[in-house]
Amino acid sequence: MIRESQDVIVKTLARLLVPFIVIYALYVVMHGHHSPGGGFQGGVILAASFVLLAISQGLDKIRQRLSEKTAGILSSLGVLIYAGIGLLCLLLGGKYLDYGKLSKLLPVEPAQARSLGILGVEIGVALAVMAVMCLIVFTIFSFDEDSGGDE
Amino acid sequence: MEVTLLVEATENAFRILGDARKHAEGIIDSALELTSEETRHHEAKRIQEIFTGAQKRKTAFQNFIGTAVILYAFWVLLSGQFDAFHLTLGAICCIVVAYLYHDLLFANTRVGDMRVVAWRFITYIPWLMVQILMSNLHVASLVLRRKMPINPQVLTFKTKLETDISCVALANSITLTPGTITMDIRDGVFYVHALSKKVADELQTGAMEDRVAHIFMEADHLYVQDVLDAANIYAALRT
Repeated sequence: MIRESQDVIVKTLARLLVPFIVIYALYVVMHGHHSPGGGFQGGVILAASFVLLAISQGLDKIRQRLSEKTAGILSSLGVLIYAGIGLLCLLLGGKYLDYGKLSKLLPVEPAQARSLGILGVEIGVALAVMAVMCLIVFTIFSFDEDSGGDE
Repeated sequence: MEVTLLVEATENAFRILGDARKHAEGIIDSALELTSEETRHHEAKRIQEIFTGAQKRKTAFQNFIGTAVILYAFWVLLSGQFDAFHLTLGAICCIVVAYLYHDLLFANTRVGDMRVVAWRFITYIPWLMVQILMSNLHVASLVLRRKMPINPQVLTFKTKLETDISCVALANSITLTPGTITMDIRDGVFYVHALSKKVADELQTGAMEDRVAHIFMEADHLYVQDVLDAANIYAALRT
């Protein structure tokens, strides 16, 4: 169980840095289709911001922001977005994840539809990666709660 | 004789009844007063609660707007693409993040003097750069001499800074300057490792602490808002 840090420097700097880390993670996700980065990297950076908050403010406060149940739902939602876009392309007469076919639904060119489809898939990947990473970290951090130890 | 006794007895009875009535009226009056006091107290408390709630929501909203604007500037800096699609994406991201984290960036700061603090912080940076350069030369001269006359020591001093953010600014300024490292802050006492006596003496003069206190308007510096309030009171008294 991780408790609130006693160090004022760690606490204050984590508080100031976390919003910028989250924005950087979202930038990596959103610009993944024409610059290095993408869903997985962005999701990991998002999860890192939660870990930084957890080690500076304690696990209890983080559970108020993102409970384990919400993390579970978000991870499933991410997979659903990925698979849903893939299946949508299948239903529209293309192959699995054949984004060009999305132009039948969206009012854009097939080339631009590909870009948008990749963006949607990346958002799904980022959500799933962030939620699963957070779940893993929460489980590791709180292992001594379940065993009922005295520590 | 019996008649007079009877009359006296009735008079007595009436008097007792009258007293009892007065007493009862008094009790009822005080009870009424108590209940009205109670309701007034409740009313006042309710209004107070509504007021503080509105105040809290107002500060939360101000924090939300401030966070969103700062984060959007950061997004534009990162993105470097000015087409409508990316700017809209950035706006959505910033609003969501600012909604989730509006309590982090501006925890326990007063919004009124943020601009003054920002300006003073910017003017502090060149002074810090000069300080870093001087200490760099000093440490280089220490290390390059054959005898290497270093004198490592841990010095502690009690700070006059009050808020977390100013303590962190001072601690990081000390760490950025070569030759000194902040090891810990415990209850307002700084534990600093210094490489030589000259560096330690420079730190002990407290010039850096004074400047940091000046940035965040602390210790013996008057708050601008206090001066403005005092001016209002003075004007009201004079009229």
